[in-house]
Amino acid sequence: MNAWLVCASLLLVAGLLPVVWGTARGPLGHRVVAQNCGTSVVCLVMLLLAQGYERPAYTDLALVLAVLGPVGTLVFARLLSGELDEEPRWGRAVTALTVAATAPVVIASCAATGPGRAAVKVVFIGVLLAAGNVIASRTLSGAHRNPTETRYD
Amino acid sequence: MRRGRLGATVAEILVWQVALSVLWLVLISTVDPLELFVGLGCALVGAVAAVAARRAVSGR
Amino acid sequence: MTDTLLLISLCAVAATATAAVLVRDPARQALVLSVLGLALAVLFTVLQAPDVALSQLAVGSALTPLLILLSVRKVRRRGRREEDGR
Repeated sequence: MNAWLVCASLLLVAGLLPVVWGTARGPLGHRVVAQNCGTSVVCLVMLLLAQGYERPAYTDLALVLAVLGPVGTLVFARLLSGELDEEPRWGRAVTALTVAATAPVVIASCAATGPGRAAVKVVFIGVLLAAGNVIASRTLSGAHRNPTETRYD
Repeated sequence: MRRGRLGATVAEILVWQVALSVLWLVLISTVDPLELFVGLGCALVGAVAAVAARRAVSGR
Repeated sequence: MTDTLLLISLCAVAATATAAVLVRDPARQALVLSVLGLALAVLFTVLQAPDVALSQLAVGSALTPLLILLSVRKVRRRGRREEDGR
């Protein structure tokens, strides 16, 4: 069990278990922010696992999640827009923390991969992940501020 | 006027195709001539879709 | 030693699945199911099955919540229309 896998397990314990806790209880606005954070955390975990098991193919998992994670959050922001009442106070801090955690993981993966197309791929995944996280959280705070009154009649 | 529009559309499709092909070549593991061929073809389809989507979104 | 990672991911899957059962409202369940999909993808990757994890991510992160929320919306709309029509 090398350092990458240790980091991956630490990130899982510190990231995914609080996300599960946050998604299971609390007002709906808190839960959606927790789900958004969860997709980014799991994407970083996939990058770490790709280095830890020494299979560069696992970065494709991080790529797919960097694209589909924000799409899932946007689905929730669109279809639950009438019911998102309050934005959590820790929402911006959690988003900033997740985006900030992207940088060391991406830099470490690039340094371990060495120069070439694989490093460019990892950088691209990191940029996509950060951009997707920021876009999704901005959309969520916009939906929090103006809850649309959807009428069903 | 219409020929100018056609030229602009073709140029935009080419730009999208080059960008998507470069992205494809970065993301795959080994670069063969076959991969290049497949990438160019799929990038062309994606480029047409992207130009259509951009037109639909910006309302031109 | 890699059992630690396996244990953590199994615990995450168990906790999320239990939460998915205990949450009653379907819209909130869709959120928990999305996180369950993420936990399952991690579990599949730790068990060295990346193709299964890829399929899980492709389906569970965006498609499953979309289907559930659309069904909930349609059922609620029909219920409300029947209430008004009666």
